[in-house]
Amino acid sequence: MGQPVDGLRQTIQEAVSAGDTRIVLNLAEVPMIDSSGIGLLVRFMASTKQLGGNIKLVQPNKYAIQTLRLVGVLNLFEIFDDDDAAVDSFA
Amino acid sequence: MSDEFSGGPENNALSELLDVNMPADAEAVAAVVDSISETLARLEVPEQKRFEVALAVQEALANAVVHGCGNDRSKQIRCRLKSDPQGRIVIIVTDPGPGFSPELQPDPKGNANLYADHGRGVYLIRQLMDEVRFERSGSEIMMWKY
Repeated sequence: MGQPVDGLRQTIQEAVSAGDTRIVLNLAEVPMIDSSGIGLLVRFMASTKQLGGNIKLVQPNKYAIQTLRLVGVLNLFEIFDDDDAAVDSFA
Repeated sequence: MSDEFSGGPENNALSELLDVNMPADAEAVAAVVDSISETLARLEVPEQKRFEVALAVQEALANAVVHGCGNDRSKQIRCRLKSDPQGRIVIIVTDPGPGFSPELQPDPKGNANLYADHGRGVYLIRQLMDEVRFERSGSEIMMWKY
């Protein structure tokens, strides 16, 4: 919650508003995802999908994966080991 | 606010490790979570368990800030960390709000809620901790990790 989630929300919102709905999020430096972060991810995933895009995750750590699994949304996301593979998957 | 800690299994010989008050401000949460994590690290609590406690505390404090205090930073939230001789720990988060009914929380894994942008905090706490109890009509949460 707080600034990290607010900042990400603003960044994604600006991208979507600019027409960029195919989004790759590299989570390698994210130590922990809380419920507000998860809410943001699934909300924007739904809205970008409606616009023909998606949100794909790169290198979430084991704790992020555990958290996404605990709340039942892990299988909603495509997860990649590197940015290029995630970007290429949109092709 | 009573200082009596009345709950938890085998409530005996609990040592107080941390007792902090914070303003009901989202930006104040991280420092309290970090303090708890650092205290557990000094006690050589394994990393996996530290992560689970840290995320549960983050969720409890977030609920206290948003729902217990309405993001009014003039209000105070109390967070205590205690342990027993067996190494089990309990975190108690208390806010000045009217409380809530945790049993009325929707199932976040239900199809209708999968894409919701809220409503996962209490569920996550219950998954991460070994025992969770609400007191004071829900304005106090006690979270045990064994």
